[in-house]
Amino acid sequence: MEILNWIIENILTQASVIIGLVALLGLALQKKPVNELISGTLKTMLGFLVLSAGSSVMQTSLTYFGDMFNQAFGFTNMSAVVASIEGINGQAMTDLGLGSEIAICLAGIFIVNIILARFSPFKYVFLTGQALLWESTLCIVFAYFCGLSGVPLIIIASIVGGAFATLMPAFAQPVVRKITESDDIALGHFCTFGYMFTALIATGTKKLLGGGKEAKSTEELELPQSLSFMQDSYLAVMVVMIPFYIIIAAFAGPEASAEYAGDVNFIVYAFLQAMQFVVGLYVLLAGVRLLLAELVPAFQGISMKLVPNARPALDCPVLFTYAPNAVIIGFIFTTIGSLIGMVITGFMGTLVIPGVMSNFFAGGTAGIFGNAIDGRRGAIIGGIFHGIFIMILPALLSPMLAQIGFVNMTCTDVDTVVTGFFFMAIKSILGVFGIA
Amino acid sequence: MAKQLRILTVCGNGLGSSFACQMAVEGVLKGLGVDCKLDHDSVSSVASAARNFDMIVAAQNFQTQIEGANTGLPCVFLKRLVDKKEIEEKITPVLQEMGLL
Repeated sequence: MEILNWIIENILTQASVIIGLVALLGLALQKKPVNELISGTLKTMLGFLVLSAGSSVMQTSLTYFGDMFNQAFGFTNMSAVVASIEGINGQAMTDLGLGSEIAICLAGIFIVNIILARFSPFKYVFLTGQALLWESTLCIVFAYFCGLSGVPLIIIASIVGGAFATLMPAFAQPVVRKITESDDIALGHFCTFGYMFTALIATGTKKLLGGGKEAKSTEELELPQSLSFMQDSYLAVMVVMIPFYIIIAAFAGPEASAEYAGDVNFIVYAFLQAMQFVVGLYVLLAGVRLLLAELVPAFQGISMKLVPNARPALDCPVLFTYAPNAVIIGFIFTTIGSLIGMVITGFMGTLVIPGVMSNFFAGGTAGIFGNAIDGRRGAIIGGIFHGIFIMILPALLSPMLAQIGFVNMTCTDVDTVVTGFFFMAIKSILGVFGIA
Repeated sequence: MAKQLRILTVCGNGLGSSFACQMAVEGVLKGLGVDCKLDHDSVSSVASAARNFDMIVAAQNFQTQIEGANTGLPCVFLKRLVDKKEIEEKITPVLQEMGLL
């Protein structure tokens, strides 16, 4: 008994071990040979630890950024947060100590998704691992914030996450069908509310500006070759983050940075810290890649066997080749929209620095959705509104995230934000009846 | 035993769609009876990652950047990342050229 307790207290509380065990289970279910069981389990654990390392690099950079921001603009009582779902996940898994719960919930979401796909009319199996990891994070964080813990926490979070994983692809499918001109694949990316909002705006522009006639497709445009660098997402993050850091540092002045920068010039230091942010992001995502490398094929193999007629819901870049110009236009105009949104969030009390990763991927996909409904007009106007939308929603959630204990950070992918609101709504409804 | 063919699939940040593509390519090559080992990565890492691979598979929209990385490897560019028919059509001639089919 004592040995068992020792194991539970010292080993099973380690998130990396739990994640390793989830992977081991997945591999064992596929009847893999022993050498693959061992290597797969170890690589998954390595992935988690790499993710944590990336998260702490990112956080160091963000702490500096938040401090500079406060020294520059703190007198206005405004704080700044950077929108990054990757960072939220990193902090939740390491600093908030919810890593084990998030890992088990990820497996729980798989299971709920398979059950729903098997027995409900929504035949969608969600295969985008990192998106599920973000969703699992938000489900656990908010269910935990609502006062749940232990087994009920994991069960409730898995059910909510699994429901989102099944319903969001179904929600987007009418437009996805139009984009791919087939019904073979679905979109599995938790920015669906943003995409459908873009589609709604594009439907509006088609009616109001086009008199019901669709504008010309973005794909008839010739875009300059030089724009193609924007396909490289890490590069795009750098291009956007560097000016933000430098401007904030310039406003804060050399004295403010002295404590951090030492002998290094304060502007140079800001530049290096902006790069550090990307370093953290890069390392964190490398960790996620390792973490998911064993889990996703296991899930795919199992789910396709249990739900043979399911549509795989895949990551958004799968759609990018259907309208590559719309991707770039969507990215540019979502970024413009997000800058407008940033100003609005400033007036709301918490300035949100746009999440470039999500501007890039969600923005690109929003461009495709806008284009599918109302051509280039839909992609441009829809993109701008999409940019504002994906800033306002996270801004509304950020006070709660700060209360939970996240440092200088908010979510990006809007479906995960909606998940947060969903939990808060349940909490306040239960509160009215005096239950919670 | 013949040497394993090592293929790298590539997308924007090397997480979701390159992974989906990897699984689809894996399925196709299994069907063709080619022994292979796959991995996926981001387009930013192609230049450095390429030396551990024999072939690159990516979406068409990355063609300029991947060719710009001068990896010297045969590249296959796809319109539909997970369409097994397209993958088979495009990958078969490359495999024949490499003497694997």
